[in-house]
Amino acid sequence: MVEIRNLSFAYARKRLFTNLDLLLEPGNIYGLLGKNGAGKTTLLKIICGLRFPQRGECRVLGHLSSLRPAALLEDIFLLPEELYIPPLTPQLYTSLYGPFYRRFDHSVLKSCLKEFELEPAANLSELSFGQKKKFLIAFGLATGSRLLLLDEPTNGLDIPSKSQFRRLMARAGAEGRVVLISTHQVRDMEQLIDPIIILDDGQVIFQQSMAEIGRRLAMTLEPEPPAAGTALHSEKTLGGFVTVRENRSGEDSRMDIEVLFNAVTGNREQIRELFAGQPSGSGRREV
Amino acid sequence: MEGRRFSFQRLGLLLRRDLLSGYRSTVIAMLAVGGFILIVGVLAAFGPAAGGVHRGLYTGLLFLGGFIVTSMVFREVRLNAQGIHYLCLPGSTLEKFLSKLLLTAAGYGVGTLIFYTAVAALTEGINRLAFGHGHPFFNPLARDNLRSLAAYLISQSVFLLGSIYFRKLHFVKTVLSLVVFALGLMVIGTSLARVVFKELFIGPLLNLQPYMEELSRSGELQAILGPLAHRFQLALRILLASAVAPLCWVVSYLRLRETEV
Repeated sequence: MVEIRNLSFAYARKRLFTNLDLLLEPGNIYGLLGKNGAGKTTLLKIICGLRFPQRGECRVLGHLSSLRPAALLEDIFLLPEELYIPPLTPQLYTSLYGPFYRRFDHSVLKSCLKEFELEPAANLSELSFGQKKKFLIAFGLATGSRLLLLDEPTNGLDIPSKSQFRRLMARAGAEGRVVLISTHQVRDMEQLIDPIIILDDGQVIFQQSMAEIGRRLAMTLEPEPPAAGTALHSEKTLGGFVTVRENRSGEDSRMDIEVLFNAVTGNREQIRELFAGQPSGSGRREV
Repeated sequence: MEGRRFSFQRLGLLLRRDLLSGYRSTVIAMLAVGGFILIVGVLAAFGPAAGGVHRGLYTGLLFLGGFIVTSMVFREVRLNAQGIHYLCLPGSTLEKFLSKLLLTAAGYGVGTLIFYTAVAALTEGINRLAFGHGHPFFNPLARDNLRSLAAYLISQSVFLLGSIYFRKLHFVKTVLSLVVFALGLMVIGTSLARVVFKELFIGPLLNLQPYMEELSRSGELQAILGPLAHRFQLALRILLASAVAPLCWVVSYLRLRETEV
């Protein structure tokens, strides 16, 4: 659905991506991780045509995203981190913006708003940041867009809303959509995002399904730090040291995404070798 | 594929969205402007310049108001969150551009004509009821008013371009650009005159008096130059009328297409 080939992009004073490749396939909820300034938001913007690559191309559903054709925009819904919602009643907002999407489904909007327990407001500008976000997530799901790009979607959501959000997104993924979630709040996304994509130094340095990660890596909590050279990564935590090693047991291991991120960004070469043979750039979720 | 083609339905949706999204501001602006016209119209009933009050007010509202409104029409594109919201709306760049153009050119022009006619009629009704006299009623189809409307449709294209071209202070920067452009033309014109009429310059001033006297004496020369000047003026007007607006529209469209947020 999303095919990025050899993409290079730079801001006036900063080179961001160099020959970046990425492939996103339907039915997956991708987690896009990266350090601050790695280019997660910019990548989302390139995918929906708000930023243009200097080299290479980004195609979504066969369309060049930089041309911003209406047919493509109808199939993309972007929830940016900085929200804008016009000061309208929810009914007027829906009647003005809903018809732009041919597959817009009012019943989906209604059920999502119900799921989020969002009270009807006189005006959308009166809603809190989290409520605005929930309204837009519900609207995005109702558009019927096949690609949902969410930038830090759980920022500002209260605790019950986060699990409601996960339920709705899991449903969207199951409907065959592509959901790409850029986030630092990986704890909110555990059990939801799969595959994991990690951006670093202008490249996709890691793109693997959770199943593959569990097969190749093992995470253990140990009382002492590992001896030098015996582990890929180790970090001190409450109750000991979380240690990541190559999984030699043959049993699937459960991986903490935060630890995984630190392990991957701190040991790029070793991780690359360990996952050699796995196509980095697709990382399809295994069902 | 349907979404690739120009869609009048989407254009209609964009127009509806542009109109209704800011309907509160539009209503407030109409009430304020209507109140102002009403007060000036009533006050002017006592003044000596009563005859031309509606023509002056209408022209001011059409041009000044229209240029300001046009300058702000693409403002949302330059604001990060609003820009994302707008550019992600399912509509082609051409549809988005046309909706803004139609709204600020024909929409504002015709809307102002209708609005002013209604407010002026109300003003004159009050004048006649309260004071027993007033100004002539405002005729929207008068030749001067229609010519103003045509002139507005052409000149507003420059402000439409300014609206998408500049990131901030669109109106001020467009006016400033026009002033710089006019000054540039003046400098070029003066420099050319300096070269062509070198011997006619006395210090910094061009003295055409001998030529003018010669011209007024020679009826034959006047017969040739008179229509020639008229034709030149007409050609220049046609060129300006037919080239300026389309050029500004094309550049504005391209600028919108290239806009990144």
